[in-house]
This record gives sequence, structure tokens and C-alpha cells, in this order.
Amino acid sequence: MIHLPRPAIGRRPLMLGAAGTAMALAARVPVRAQPAPPPAGAPGAPPATTPGAPGAPSAVIDVNRARAAPIPIAIPDFVGSDGDSAQLGREIAGVITNDLGNCGLFKPLPPASFVNVPPGAGQIPNFQNWGAIGAQALVTGAAEVQGGGNIRVEFRLWDVLPQAQIQGTAYTTTQSNWRRIAHIIADVIYQRLLGESGYFDTRVCYVAATGPLGRQTKRLAIMDQDGANNRYLTDGRWLVLTPRFNPVKDEIAFMSFAYERPRVYLFNLQTGHQSILGDFPGMTLSPRFSPDGSRVVMSLTEGSGAAIVAMDLASRATQRLTNADSINVSPCYSPDGSRIAFNSDRDGDQQLYVMNADGSGVNRISFGRGRYATPVWSPRGDLIAYTSFGGDTGAAFNIGVMQPDGKGERILAQGWDVEGPTWAPGGMVMMFQSSTRSLNARGQGYSSHLITVDNTGFNQRTIVTPTNATDPAWSPLGM
Amino acid sequence: MPPALRRGAAISAALHIVIIAALLIAIPVAKPPEAPPETAVSMVFAGTAANSTQAPAPAPTPAPAKAPPLPPAPPTVTPPQPQPIEAPPPPPPPPPAPPQSQAPPTSAPPTPTPPPPPTPSLAPPTPPPPQAPPTPPKPTPPQPVAQPLPLPPPPAPTPPLQSATSQPNPTKNAAANSQALDNTLEKLRQLVQQKQAPTHRYNPQAGGAQASGGNPLANDTSALSLAQRGAIADHVRPCWTDTPGTLDLDKMSVLLTVTTDADGVVREARIADQDQGRVAADPRLLAFSDRAINAVMDPTCATLPLPQSMLGKVNVLTFRFSP
Repeated sequence: MIHLPRPAIGRRPLMLGAAGTAMALAARVPVRAQPAPPPAGAPGAPPATTPGAPGAPSAVIDVNRARAAPIPIAIPDFVGSDGDSAQLGREIAGVITNDLGNCGLFKPLPPASFVNVPPGAGQIPNFQNWGAIGAQALVTGAAEVQGGGNIRVEFRLWDVLPQAQIQGTAYTTTQSNWRRIAHIIADVIYQRLLGESGYFDTRVCYVAATGPLGRQTKRLAIMDQDGANNRYLTDGRWLVLTPRFNPVKDEIAFMSFAYERPRVYLFNLQTGHQSILGDFPGMTLSPRFSPDGSRVVMSLTEGSGAAIVAMDLASRATQRLTNADSINVSPCYSPDGSRIAFNSDRDGDQQLYVMNADGSGVNRISFGRGRYATPVWSPRGDLIAYTSFGGDTGAAFNIGVMQPDGKGERILAQGWDVEGPTWAPGGMVMMFQSSTRSLNARGQGYSSHLITVDNTGFNQRTIVTPTNATDPAWSPLGM
Repeated sequence: MPPALRRGAAISAALHIVIIAALLIAIPVAKPPEAPPETAVSMVFAGTAANSTQAPAPAPTPAPAKAPPLPPAPPTVTPPQPQPIEAPPPPPPPPPAPPQSQAPPTSAPPTPTPPPPPTPSLAPPTPPPPQAPPTPPKPTPPQPVAQPLPLPPPPAPTPPLQSATSQPNPTKNAAANSQALDNTLEKLRQLVQQKQAPTHRYNPQAGGAQASGGNPLANDTSALSLAQRGAIADHVRPCWTDTPGTLDLDKMSVLLTVTTDADGVVREARIADQDQGRVAADPRLLAFSDRAINAVMDPTCATLPLPQSMLGKVNVLTFRFSP
């Protein structure tokens, strides 16, 4: 056996001593201040992440949080070779300016700010001068009155800062169509700069009301979307309501109380011919065309309820989509024709529902307080506009939108009586009627007019009509 | 002395005696080793060894005994450093001209001083001297001249004291803010810059660095730090507008390839290659891209806050615009 010499100092005291020394050394180590990270933008800031490194973000400059602002656009008068042409050029530029300015998404610059004269047709503008006044887009053009009552209008759309032409078109038509040419040009500019379908080359059919409040004469009327070219379609002998445009034909469906029988009629805008849509024992109301124009969906009263029926316009065959146990009214097709939105009191109060085009798969989509009515599907399919009343918004009536599944409900307009929304082509703007309360039994102080509002609710504009106006219906583009 | 104290003193004395005796008797005292006797070593220098520390050949005979050390030399007196000679101050303005009744200055001998040039004098005209017997010409006192004198040269700067523990280490980059990281990086870039034409042909057979897959967006944007990219985005953001109500606006985004000039001003902005197909197929995205291009080219936002190291050359940056 090997005896190791016993150490003079025990192992335990040695370990304790070492531990104590280590603790003492640790305690005496001065705490050094860590260098602070360099401030933002300092040269010592960490460099960009190496591109291509796994999981590294892309080396891009992220610009977000855009603000909503109209596009500054300069629209000088279109040039003309003679006096008539120059006058036509001025009028066309004026219509374009009004169209783009009234929609709220453009800011036409005042002509007084223009530095130089508008360039002629085919001339490249001096971009520096237009950029100096803040224009991002520039419209130049020329008008020419030709022989035979025809006119030729050409225009060019310029992107000022990149100094490039982004659109250029020429139109030839009769001189009486000059306003429509101006609307078409405005639509082209709208679509190119916003990416959305324009709506200026459209018309609005509405019910014109004249006379005392209790005994008003109501006539069908039609006008351009800006209020121009107003004319009446009926003589006011019978009460008319709820006109609706056929999306593919120059035709209107509306409800008339002719001969004291409220029924749905068709009105051909080119020939003026009227025809009854079906022969039903009850009252038919609230018609709406399918997107392809081949069918009309409407309500048919039966007893104390109303059913929704669809009629094929070619064969006049009908298809019952709901029963009449409750009041089911205001049907409206989705843009693809696959679904129908309507309102019903089947659950007690009037609420909005969506079902398949064949009547199956009914789903309630409105659950707010108050009552919901007149659902109208947006041409884009992303929103359903409606009228609500009796809710907790503090106003008597509201115009709102919600997604087809009922989410994202937003109020766009409020008033004593706002109702009957109708979408413009493109789904960026809608129109509705707004009435003011009468001050006495004779209807003093009462008025009813048409108002447009964009789908954000920030830009409202009143359409000037020669009479009181209700029940607007917006035509498809180009009709 | 009290008896107790006396007893204690006796005990203390006895103990001291015992300790001293023990030290003298019990503990052996090691004698210091005796120093070896000194032996003289004689050395013979074969020649001048000013430039060599080793003898070229062993000395045949030992060197003579080492001379005793000399007494320390007296401290040498450092000659005074030549002090900068200060320029003599300008002579004080002379006193007003003494009246002639006073005795003429006789301290200075008459020197043939040339008459000063005619200069405008601010002094009052000296009255004509009275008629006196001819005397040697008096020295003309200096006249005050309105022409300013040149400033004396500044004193020579005192050379810095030489540190005994550190050597001076002058910076090789005397530019302003030379401590900045960017400056250092720029200096490193200059060091690795190829300054001569290549002397060898490209040989693909030899392999070499593989083409990195990398990020297709890697351009000059990668040279920007995250904070610098954020600063540029903040600069452009006031010009970035969109159209509310556009369908699926919240899902849109577009990449732009932006070219800036040497001053950091945006000169060109176009849709990045990887987004061109997507934009061409969607008119809403095309309009969205146009507004992004207008934002970055807007005169109020087109001068990008690029870092100093990126100025003076054309840069290509990648922007991503989203609502």
C-alpha cells in the first residue's frame, strides 16, 4: 500500500479558500459600461442584413402608411383651329374638369396657375412648367368641328414627373354628342390613373316629384350622371317607383300603379314601349335584373307575406326562390349572378339575408340594432350597400355598407330620410335619395334630392335636378 | 514600582534572555558563501569592432584587467535651448517733440541717417528751429507713420515633450471625423481596390468563387443600414398617397427600382423587373405603381437623405411601396 503524504493544508479549506478568492475577485471586478447602440442614422448603426442570408429580410426601403389625397391634374382647354373648334375645346375641357373634380379623387388645378399655354395636338408639353405648379397628370387635346355636323376630339394623358404619355385617343362623333365624348375621356383618365372603372359616361333614372307633398305627381325621369340632359319618361298620370336599369339593354324595369294595380313594367328607352312583366294575382314590386339581363328577380305579395320570384325574360317562366311566410323583398343579384341579397322579417325585424340564386343556402348577414333594408350588391362584389333605420346611431336613417358575409359594417351617410342606394359602375361611388322634413301639414320645407357619396363616405355631392327626386338607379357604363 | 509590575518586568526580561540564548545556541546561522577571488581576464582587440558585437576570432591572450570604474561624471549642464527670438516690439511712439529750449540730445552721436521718405505724418508740424549756430545734424526721431506695421511672426510652437513610455502614433487618416465607422470602411475599400490592371487571364477552369444565389434585390440598398433605410422612407412618406376605396388596396405593394444621381436626387424610377408582370396584369396595381413613382419623383421628396459614403456616384435603390 502506498501512503501519500498528508498535505499540510486540508483539501476542504483549500477549496473554500479558492472559492472565496474567486468570489472576492468577482466582486471586485469593475462593471464596465457597455457601449450604447448607435443612434438611428449614426455611422455606427448596424449594417444592412446581408442579402441572401437565410431568413434575412430583403434589402428594400419600405415606404408605407400612405395618405389619402386627390391627384393634382391640369386640364387646359383643348385647342381648336378655328373659333367653333376652340369653343368646343373649352367646353369639353370644362366637362372633364367637372367630372374629375366632383368625384373627389382628383384635384383639377386652376387655369390661372398654368404657366404656359396649352400645347397643341401632338406637341410634347413643357413638363417642367407643369411640374412646377404641382401637377402630376396633364391632359392635353384638340377639338375640331368637321363638316357634316361631326366633330373630332383627341386627347393625351401625360404623366408629368416621369415625363411620359400614358394615354392617347381620338374620337369622332356627331356634334350633339360632345358631352358624351367629354365623359368618355374623363372615364379613360379615371380608369388609367385610379385603376377603377369610370362612371362618367352613365345616366341616372329616378322618380321626379312635383306638387304638394300629399298629392305629388311622380314621373320617371332620366339624366346624365352630372344632372345634364334631363328628360321625363312618363307623364305622371300613375305613380311610379323603383326604376332599375337592364345591364345589357336600353331598358328599365319599374313598378307602376297604373290602373290601380301595382305591377312591374318594362320600359324600352329607345322605343318608349312599356310592357307588364308577368301577370300575377298579387302585387309585384322591387324588380332587379340579373347581371346578364336575362332574368328579373322581384317580390310577389301573397296574403300578408311576400315571396321572391325570378322570371326568365325570354320564356317568362318564373321560379319561386322563397316562400311567403314572411315579407321577403328587395332582392338583388351579386355581380356574378350566383347569389341574391334581400331583406326579410322572418326573424322578427327586417334584416339582410343572402341566398344562392336558386333560393338555397339562406344566411342572415345583418345583426345590428334597428332594421335593415334595400340591399344592393356592389358591381365589384366586395360590398353590399343598405338602408338602416331605428338603430342606435342617433339618426333616423343611415346608408351603410358591409361585406357580403356581414363583416365590416360602416355607415356612409345619415339623415332624417336617406334611403335607396344605387351603385355607380366600378363600385367606387353610390347615389341615394335624401329628404328633408316638412315643417307643416302642407309639406312646407320638404325637399328630396339625390346625393352621391364614395365608398369611404368622405365625399358627398348633391346632384342638381329640376324637381324633387327619389329612387335613383344608376345605369351601366356607356348606357 | 509596584511589586506586580516589577514581577512582570522580571518575567519579561527573563523571556527575552531565553529567546536570545536560543537564537544564539540552537539556530545555526548559515555563513554567506565567500566571494570567489577576482581573476583578471585580459582581452586583446583584433581591430575596430565598431560595427560588430562579436569578435571575429578568439583572442589569443586574455584581456588586461578591467580598469577600476571611474567616478561618476559630474552632471552635465545642458546647454540652454535656443529660445525663439521674439521680434522686438515696435518702438513706442515718440514723445511729443521737445521744445527747442531744452538741451539738444547729445547722447547719440550724429549718424548719417538718410532722410525718411516723405510720408503723411500725423504729428503736428515741427516748428522751424530757431536760428542757432551751426551744429552737427541731430538725429531725426522716428516719425509716427499711419501705415500699419506687419504683425510679428507668431512664436515658434514649443515641441511636444517626448514621452518616456509611449511613442507618437500620428493618425494616417487626418480627415474630419476620421474615427467614424464609415470613414474606416471607406479606407478599407480603398485599400482593397484594384489599382493595377490584372496580370493574369480569367481562367474558368480554376474554379473560383461561385456565383452566389443571393438576393435579387441586392443593389446599393444593401449598403444602407436599417436606420438609414428608415430615414429615406420617412423622407419619401409625405409624398406617398393612394386612392381610398380601391379594391384590395390593403393587399397591394409594388417594388420600384430607383436611380439617384451623385447628389442623391431621384432621376429615374421604374417598376422592378420582378413586379412588371404582376403590374401589367392589374390596372389597379398599375395605378398604384404610378402613384408610387410619382411619390419618389416628387420634387419635395426626390432628394433622398443618402449617407455621405453613397454620394458622389450613381446609386440604384429598391423601394417597396405599400398602403
